[in-house]
Amino acid sequence: MRLRKGPPDFLIILSTSLLLAIGIVMVFSSSAYSAMISYGDQFYFLKRQGIWTILGAMGLFSAMQLDYFLVRRYAKIFLIGAILLLLLVLVIGLESHGSRRSLGMGFLTFQPSEVIKLAMAIYLARSLSEAGDRLKDFRRGLLPRLIILGAVCGLILAQPDLGTTIAVAGTAYILLAAAGARVSHLIGLAIIGLVGVFVAIFTADYRMQRLLSFLNPYADPTDSGFQIIQSLLALGSGGLFGMGLGQGRQKLLYIPERHTDFIFAIIGEELGFIGASLVICLFLILLWRGLRVAVTAPDTYGSLLAVGLTCMIVFQAIINIGVVTGSMPITGITLPLISYGGSSLLFTLISIGLLLNISRYAGQR
Amino acid sequence: MQAKVEVKKRITFILLAMAAILLALNMRLAWIQFVRGDEYQQQALRNRMREVPLEAKRGAILDRNGRELAVSVSAPSVGVFPAEVKKSRQEHEIAAQLAAILGLPEDQVLRNITRNESFWWVKRKVTFEQGAQIKSLRLPGVQVVEETQRFYPNQTLAAHVLGIAGIDNQGLEGLELYYDKLLRGTPGNLVIEKDARGRDIPHARQGYIPPEDGLSLVLTIDETIQYIAERELDLLMQGPSSPKGATVIVMDPKTGDILALANRPTFDPNNFRNFPVANRRNIAVSDNYEPGSTFKIITAAAALEEGVVGLNERFYDPGYIKVGKETIKCWRTGRPHGSQSFVEAVQNSCNPVFVTVGLRMEDRRKGSFYDYIEGFGFGKVTGIDINGEAKGLLRPRDKLKQINLATISIGQGVAVTPIQLITAISAVANGGQLFQPRLVREVRDHNGQVVQRIDPAPVRQVVSKDTARQVSEILEMVVSRGTGTRAYIPGYRVGGKTGTAQKVEGGKYVAGKYVASFAGYAPVNDPRLAILVVVDEPQGIYYGGTVAAPIFKRILEDSLRYLGVPAQYNSEVKPDRDNNRVKEVLVPDVSQQAVVKAQAVIKASGLSPVVQGIGTVVADQIPKPGVRVQMGTQILLYAKEGQPSGEVVVPDLTGWRTREVATIMEALGLKMSSDGTGEAWEQDPVPGTVVKVGTTVRVLFGDGAMAEAISP
Repeated sequence: MRLRKGPPDFLIILSTSLLLAIGIVMVFSSSAYSAMISYGDQFYFLKRQGIWTILGAMGLFSAMQLDYFLVRRYAKIFLIGAILLLLLVLVIGLESHGSRRSLGMGFLTFQPSEVIKLAMAIYLARSLSEAGDRLKDFRRGLLPRLIILGAVCGLILAQPDLGTTIAVAGTAYILLAAAGARVSHLIGLAIIGLVGVFVAIFTADYRMQRLLSFLNPYADPTDSGFQIIQSLLALGSGGLFGMGLGQGRQKLLYIPERHTDFIFAIIGEELGFIGASLVICLFLILLWRGLRVAVTAPDTYGSLLAVGLTCMIVFQAIINIGVVTGSMPITGITLPLISYGGSSLLFTLISIGLLLNISRYAGQR
Repeated sequence: MQAKVEVKKRITFILLAMAAILLALNMRLAWIQFVRGDEYQQQALRNRMREVPLEAKRGAILDRNGRELAVSVSAPSVGVFPAEVKKSRQEHEIAAQLAAILGLPEDQVLRNITRNESFWWVKRKVTFEQGAQIKSLRLPGVQVVEETQRFYPNQTLAAHVLGIAGIDNQGLEGLELYYDKLLRGTPGNLVIEKDARGRDIPHARQGYIPPEDGLSLVLTIDETIQYIAERELDLLMQGPSSPKGATVIVMDPKTGDILALANRPTFDPNNFRNFPVANRRNIAVSDNYEPGSTFKIITAAAALEEGVVGLNERFYDPGYIKVGKETIKCWRTGRPHGSQSFVEAVQNSCNPVFVTVGLRMEDRRKGSFYDYIEGFGFGKVTGIDINGEAKGLLRPRDKLKQINLATISIGQGVAVTPIQLITAISAVANGGQLFQPRLVREVRDHNGQVVQRIDPAPVRQVVSKDTARQVSEILEMVVSRGTGTRAYIPGYRVGGKTGTAQKVEGGKYVAGKYVASFAGYAPVNDPRLAILVVVDEPQGIYYGGTVAAPIFKRILEDSLRYLGVPAQYNSEVKPDRDNNRVKEVLVPDVSQQAVVKAQAVIKASGLSPVVQGIGTVVADQIPKPGVRVQMGTQILLYAKEGQPSGEVVVPDLTGWRTREVATIMEALGLKMSSDGTGEAWEQDPVPGTVVKVGTTVRVLFGDGAMAEAISP
C-alpha cells in the first residue's frame, strides 16, 4: 500500500512556531536577571535554549520525513529501550533536589522520562490499534496494557517524578478512551487513578504540603505557599496588557522556577491577559488541528498516535497552566514548547514532527 | 482504512472536553488578572518594597543672637534586614566584614544580623568613613542609613540649660527634654524596590515620605554672657576657695529673660556618660538653700511698701535682739553697729534691725510679711521652662511662730531656689513687677521662619515703683559704701546685697559649712542685668562679700561692656581699687578675617585675643568693634570653618610679607597672585570687598620706601 504524501498541517506549524518564538523571548526575559547573578551572563539560558531549539527543529523535520509505519514496526524496541533508560537513571542518574531524573553530563543532559512519554504514545497507539474490539474485554484487552502502563508509571514515580507520571498516565487514559475502551472501565480506572494519586499524596510529606498549600497558600506564605502566591502576584500584576516585555518584577528572584515551571506567570505579568490568552489559544489550535489529524488519519494506528501526541502536549500545558493559576496543586510539569528545558523541547518537537508526518496523509485510505 | 466511527466520536468528545478545560483556565486567568488584579498588584509591590526608617532632623538650639548651642549633624547608622541576610546564606561573611569595619565582636554581630526581626540596628551613629566603607561593599540585607546626631559645639557651655539627648535623638534632660516635642519633628521613611534577596535593582521604584524636621529654639541665653559666667565659675572652682559647687544666674530684670545660667560641677553633653550623674543636677532651679542676708532685700522691700519703717528712722543695735526666749545675734556681735538709720542698717546688713522691722510688719497687719514673701514668688515654682524645678521651703502660715518670722526676716529658716531669688530681686530692680523667668523666646522652623514668639510673662506687681526705687537706692549704697563694696564698678550704678548662710543639714546648722552669695543688678536707674552668684561650701574665707561679690562684679562688668551699656560718671565715682589708670584702646574689627591675622591684629592693638571654637575664620568677636576697652582686655574671637555663604571679606593685607599673605589667603579660601617682593602695599580687590571664596586677590609687594613713595 503506497500513500501519496500531501502538505503538512499549516496551522500546527504556525502555532508551534509562535509558541517556540514566545518561549525563546520569555525564557530570556525571565532568566536574564538571575542568569546575570548566577552565571554573570544574562544570555546563559537563552543561548542554551537556542541550541536546543535548533536541535529540536532538526528532530521535527526528521520525524516529519520518515515513514511513520516504520515507527510502528520499532515501537516495542523503542519502548524497551526507554524502559532500560528509566532503569539506568535510577542507578546513575544525576541527583538534583532529591531526585534522579537526568542522564548525561554537563550541558548534554536529557531526561529519560521525555523519551518514555514518546515511546508510550507510540507503543499504545500500535497496541491499541491492534487490539481492536478485544479492548472491550477487560482481562484480554485492557489488563495487559494497564500492567505495562503501571510498570512504566512505577519506574517514573521511583525517580520520583509525579508530574511526568501524571502526564504519561493521563495521556494513556485519553488514548484508552479514544481507542474505544468501555465507559464503565474508564470510570473504574478514573476512580482507581484518583485513589492512586491520593495515596501518593498521603504517603509523601512534600506532596501533602503541596496539596495543603494549594488549598490555602497563605497558611504558610514564606515556605510551601510561596511559589503559588508569587505566581498569583505576578499574574495579577499583569492586568490586560501586562507590564510590558522585560518590565516584569516577579522574575527578580521572587518566583522560583521562573523560566521553567512558572514561565507562564511571567508571561501573564509582562504580556498581560492578552499575551497569556494567546498562549492558551495556540494550545487550543494545536489541540484542534492535532485531533483533526487524528480523525483524518489513514488508519487507526495513525489516528491513535495523533491523539496520543497531541494530548500529551496539551495535557501538560493544561496541568502547567492549572498549577500557575493556582487551579491545582504543584506537580512540577513544564509548559511544552515554551519553558526552558533541553530534552523536553527536543522530544516535544519530535512529537510534533510525527504529528505533521501523519497530517500529510490526511483523508487517504 | 480510516479510523472507525466510534473512534471519531470519542476523539470529538476528547477535543471538546480538553478545549473546555483550556477555556476554563482562561476564565480563571481573567479572574486573577482582572477581578483580583489590583489586590495582587498591590501585594506584589508591598512585597518588593523595603522600608527604611528616616529620622527627622532635631531642631537646633540657638542663643538669643542665633549662635548655635546645640545642632544635629548627620551620622551614618548601619542596620540589617535579617531575613535577607539569612536568605543570602552569607551571614558569616557579612558578620566578619561588619565586625572588622565597626570594631565589634564577630559573634555579637552575627547574632544581631540573624535576629528574628524585620529590621535591626547593628551599630548607630558610626563614623562617616565606616558608613562609606560598608555602603561600598553592597552586602545583601545591609543598609546604611543617614541619621543625625546631637552635637554641642561649645561642649560644657550652658550644659545644664541645654540638657542632653539620647541615641534616638530623644530629649532626656534640660531644654532638650522640656521642648522635646517641638525639637523632635516627625520621622519619615524611604521605601525602595528590591529583588527577593534585598539587592538594589535597576529602575527601582522609590517611595519617600520625608521626615519633618524639628523646630529650633531661640533662647534668652546670650552665649557671650554665658561664656563670661562659665569662665568666672571655672576660675572660682580652680581658685583657692575651691567650693563644692556654685551657681550663677544672669537675668534681664525687665523681661525675666535668663541671659546666663551656669552651675558647677558641670558636664559635657556630647559625652555626658563620662561625667558623674550628680554633675548633671541643675542646682540653679532644683536645689533649695538658705538665702541668708540676700533675702533682706525682700524684707526691706516689704517693710517699706507696708510703711512700717522710714528710710531715715533711727535704730540702735546692741549686737543682738531677743525674740521671746530666743536671742538672735548680729553677725558683728563683738563690735555692734550701735545707732544707725534704716538705710545704714541695710548697708551694714544688721540682723537686729531686720528682725525688728519683720516683726513690726506682723504686728501691724497679721500675715502681711508672708503676703509679700509669697508675692515675690517664694514657696511656689517660678514656672521657668525647664524640668525639675523645686519650690523652696516656706513654713506654713498656721505653724508660724514669732521666732520663725524673726529668722525669715534675715533669710534663715526659709529655703529658696536660686531662680526664685533672682526672679524676686529682678522684680525689685525693674520697679516692682514680678516676671515668670524664661529660657526660650522664639520657636523657628527649619527655614528660620518664626513659628512662635514667646512674650515676657509679667506675673504681678509686688511692690510699688516708689518702694522698688527706694530699695534700689539703698542697695546701691550697700555696694558703694556697705558690705558689698567688692561689687563696685567705677562708672556704673550697681546695687546688690551680700549673703552668708550657715548650711543646714538634718535640721541643724553645720559648723564650717557656708553658702556665700551675692545678688544684685545694674545700672540701678535703668537695670539691664540682675545677677545672682551662689557659692556652696567655699574653703577658707566664706563671706558672700568676699567670695561671691568679686565674681558678681567681673561678670557684671564684662557683660555690661559687651552689651555696650555706657558708663555713667554722674554718680559718685570712686577711684578704681587697683588705683592705676590704664590706657584705653579701641577694639579693632577683625570679624570675617583669618584667625591667624585676627590674632595678630588684636595683639598689635595691645589687647589679648582668646579664640573660641575651631575654624579658620573669625565669625564674631566680643567686645564689638569700636568699643573702648582697657589695654590688655581679652577679646573673644569665635572661629568657624570656612564660609557657609561662600563669601568672605577681603582683609587688609598692607604691610604683610608674602608668606604671611599666603597663609591668610589660604585660611580665607582665597587665591593669590603676587607681584614683587617685600611687604604688601597694594591689593585688588580693596580691603572690605565681599568676594566669593576662591576669588583671586592680586597683591603687589615692594619694599617700604617704594610703598611710601607711591602711596604717601
